[in-house]
Amino acid sequence: MQTLWRQLESALRNFWSGIRQWSGDSAYETYLACAQRQRSKKPLSATEFYVEQLNRKYSRPNRCC
Amino acid sequence: MKRLLQILIWTAVAGLGAVALGTIAFHRGEPINATWFVLAAACSYLVAYRLYSAFIAAKLLALDNTRATPAERLDDGRDFVPTNKWVLFGHHFAAIAGPGPLVGPTLAAQFGYLPGTLWLIAGAAFAGCVQDFVILFCSIRRDGKTLGEMARDEVSKRGGLIAQLAVLTIMIILLAVVALVVVNALKSSPWATFTLAMTIPIALLLGVYLRYFRPGRVLEASLIGVALVLFVVVAGQWVADSPYLAKVFTLGGVTLAFAIIAYGFAASALPVWLLLAPRDYLSAFIKAGAIFSLAAGILLVRPQVLMPPLTRFVDGTGPVFAGKIFPFCFITIACGAISGFHSLISSGTTPKMIQREGHARFIGYGAMLLESFVGVMAMVAACAMTPGVYFAINSPASIVGATPEAAAATISSWGYPLSAGTMTGLAHAVGEQTLLNRAGGAPSLAVGMAQIFSSTIGGDRLLSIWYHFAIMFEALFILTVLDAGTRVGRFMIQELGGRVWKPMGRLNWMPGILLSSALIVGAWGYFLYQGVVDPLGGINSLWPLFGISNQLLAAVALVVATTILMKMGKLKWIWVTLLPMGWLVVITMTASYQKIFSANARIGFLAQANALAAQIAAGKVAAAKIADTHRNIFNLRLDAVVTAVLAAMILVLLVEALAQWYAILSRDKAPVLQETPYVATQWAEGD
Repeated sequence: MQTLWRQLESALRNFWSGIRQWSGDSAYETYLACAQRQRSKKPLSATEFYVEQLNRKYSRPNRCC
Repeated sequence: MKRLLQILIWTAVAGLGAVALGTIAFHRGEPINATWFVLAAACSYLVAYRLYSAFIAAKLLALDNTRATPAERLDDGRDFVPTNKWVLFGHHFAAIAGPGPLVGPTLAAQFGYLPGTLWLIAGAAFAGCVQDFVILFCSIRRDGKTLGEMARDEVSKRGGLIAQLAVLTIMIILLAVVALVVVNALKSSPWATFTLAMTIPIALLLGVYLRYFRPGRVLEASLIGVALVLFVVVAGQWVADSPYLAKVFTLGGVTLAFAIIAYGFAASALPVWLLLAPRDYLSAFIKAGAIFSLAAGILLVRPQVLMPPLTRFVDGTGPVFAGKIFPFCFITIACGAISGFHSLISSGTTPKMIQREGHARFIGYGAMLLESFVGVMAMVAACAMTPGVYFAINSPASIVGATPEAAAATISSWGYPLSAGTMTGLAHAVGEQTLLNRAGGAPSLAVGMAQIFSSTIGGDRLLSIWYHFAIMFEALFILTVLDAGTRVGRFMIQELGGRVWKPMGRLNWMPGILLSSALIVGAWGYFLYQGVVDPLGGINSLWPLFGISNQLLAAVALVVATTILMKMGKLKWIWVTLLPMGWLVVITMTASYQKIFSANARIGFLAQANALAAQIAAGKVAAAKIADTHRNIFNLRLDAVVTAVLAAMILVLLVEALAQWYAILSRDKAPVLQETPYVATQWAEGD
């Protein structure tokens, strides 16, 4: 029973994490982790990253007909 | 034992699919249940994925999971982000699924349910999915290069420029035609107009929230936004019931067209975080919700499909758009079967985020299968209503008449019984003044969806709410395509302009931003206005033009793919991309030829222009209408020129590619493949 509960909890956690990644909710966390891995000295703030990311995303075809 | 079980299961799936396909193909007489459509599509997709995509992955592309992808090698936390394959599938699907797979099948339903359904299933399995998959693979092997860059590197310099111009042209036509769908859905509808207008302040509110209060907290902002949007869908009813407010929000086609043009300009020139991005977040959530609800509704309700398999309009005299099944069914349904625009997504964000080469099969081939399934559901929703009602909603007034009585008499005389009371009653039930002459696909799809939804929840009492929810959902994500497309078009114009005059290329130079925004909005706005005032309803000329340009872009993508595969030495399997490419060239060239030169004035642009000119010369046009008629003549000739230019572009690219292929096949020169060198992945196998 406990194993089943643990599996369910892990599945829900993965689902929630997937939804956050899909929607872009966790994009800044992903960026910070990458900046940390690459030892970037001055990573962008949350606001700077958000605006910069949107400007890049909407400068190329990103929605289809 | 396990192998035997697998063989048995897949034989059963294939057998069930064959029975379902046979049933929808040979069924005559009584209405057929929609469950057969779902079964036929789902089983065909499963078999195509299991067998054909596996064959392409193994034999043609030889996907290599030991090879590091751009996301691993160039990981920067911004563009190049290694992403879980399910999440990336969701990303890719949200990017490729637009209004096309909903509108195209709805329009093609005028031939009956059969031609469109078969093309959706076969087109996706053998052409659309192949294009998306192969282009994604090619882009992964080239650090996420765009289609234009690959055309330039692998075919020729001119090929790159042609691809870029083709993208810009298709964008202009696409934006005009989707804007026309919105205009036809909103005109004379205070409820729908109010709801859609309110999504703008809601998006602005979310934009400020996400920029200043909770940067990047997309989920919570989207939840607030979706709740507000659902509220304004309901509130629209109060507006429609208020004599004063209803008057304010009851707008004609031309006024709506100018409002949408102004909106497009604002969305292109304003900061992206303020309007465009928050609207996109809203749209993504509502789109996912509506598509899943439609699928669930069809499975629960299992409606009867009332449209016959083939209608009398297979002879090319259809009221929605003129032209025979070949080639017009195949260009009317572009997205859902094969869409050139997808190749821009497959060579855009997705290749930069993929973790393993092996995932390209699931994401490239699989996401397109799902989009095709959306197209089949749209076909079911359109065909589940009485054929008479379908034709009344989608036919222009110049063909069926502007009053319910006239429309009922004309449509009944075609053999599709319809009473004037049915149309008046249906309009009343969905909270509209009229549903007549709403060419464009959105209102008829909304009626179909509302009937399915209300059979599940709420019954007739909620029919009007469901109808306006469906209209809001379609219009919302059409506007998202419109503003995102306008912005991208602006960048393309700035980039092309920058080659001629340097300052134009500076992306933060305000006069350049305003000028390029005005140019792109002016271009699609012109075609939109032309469609709104077109006596044949606009869709008749603009949708085929859009279909032709989208399929031409697909042909460009398949030319690039075939060239790359040829250089890779995959001659034995080259038919995988060569055959769909050939098919696309044949249908687009035939359709282009007929749209320009057909002697039938409802099909041929020039014939229609000449017929109008002859009417003026014979004094049959009232003095007050002469100026309008001259403008129509000019527009028709312009459409003919645009079609000819599009056809010429693909022919030039084809000649360039043929020269390349000849050189490769005759071994005149060694093929030079611009692939990124192999780097082994550092990730463990299960990562």
